[in-house]
Amino acid sequence: MADPDFEQSLVKMFAQAPALPDPEGFARIVEARLDRGWNLRQALIWTMGLAGGVIGFSQVFPTRVLAQMGAASDESTRMIDRGFRSLSNLQGNLDTLPLGGEVVWMAAALGVIALAFAITRAVEEF
Amino acid sequence: MELATLAAAGDRPAFGELVRRHGSSVRGLLRRMGAEPSLADDLAQDAFLAAFERIAEFRGEGTFVGWVRRIAARLYIRRWRRDGLTDQAEGELEEVTGGEATAASRIDLDGALKSLSPSERMCVSLCYGAGMSHAEAAEALNAPLGTVKSHVKRGLDKLRQRLAPPAGSSDGRREHG
Repeated sequence: MADPDFEQSLVKMFAQAPALPDPEGFARIVEARLDRGWNLRQALIWTMGLAGGVIGFSQVFPTRVLAQMGAASDESTRMIDRGFRSLSNLQGNLDTLPLGGEVVWMAAALGVIALAFAITRAVEEF
Repeated sequence: MELATLAAAGDRPAFGELVRRHGSSVRGLLRRMGAEPSLADDLAQDAFLAAFERIAEFRGEGTFVGWVRRIAARLYIRRWRRDGLTDQAEGELEEVTGGEATAASRIDLDGALKSLSPSERMCVSLCYGAGMSHAEAAEALNAPLGTVKSHVKRGLDKLRQRLAPPAGSSDGRREHG
């Protein structure tokens, strides 16, 4: 037959923690195991990241990426050369204009002032 | 609950404090279930580590220590079934149940639990120590519900005999709860 009083008292008895030796030591061990697990996990993440990087590099390296980068670099060099040449031509054309050098510099200064004004307005707007 | 909330947010010192507060309770339950002290301590550590891993699952339904005790109980059941600890402990039973209950065992739950068979002890501990229902205990033990109920009933009868104060006596554990 069920005896609710006895069962209730049994629950209470079970709930009472017995006095066991070294509770502090037990807690320290759990914390140390937590730290160890955390460090191990970090080391694993680092190792996997490194391995992934090595694998990725080894996959990318033989796919002529470097060769393509070199080609792109050559192309950009040629573009810069072309830019310089067109600037030289422009200077030659300016020399043919019926204006003095002071006028050109003044126009450039006005352009800078206009640009600064536009930037200031833009900053105020946003 | 406050500490558990902090621990759930990843606060390691808060979790350490929970271990400090409830370590003995979890270790004690495992010993009462029948685990050797060293095994009980190992499994209690595992239970706390598992609790830390899964602390996001703890939603404050019931107490934190109750939750960890259930985790620990399940870990011990796994070990109990794997290592066949049922048979190993049967030998001790004869010795304990052979004699009369001593005065100490009347008021000592730990002593009284030794008078139970390992299966009775396990079922009683799960239901009254780990807070499982009969159905949950049956599921955890992978045993029929009827078997668990009869183990609990026989275990309770034995414990009542050991823990209840003798007739005419006014002292006893029941009055102290």
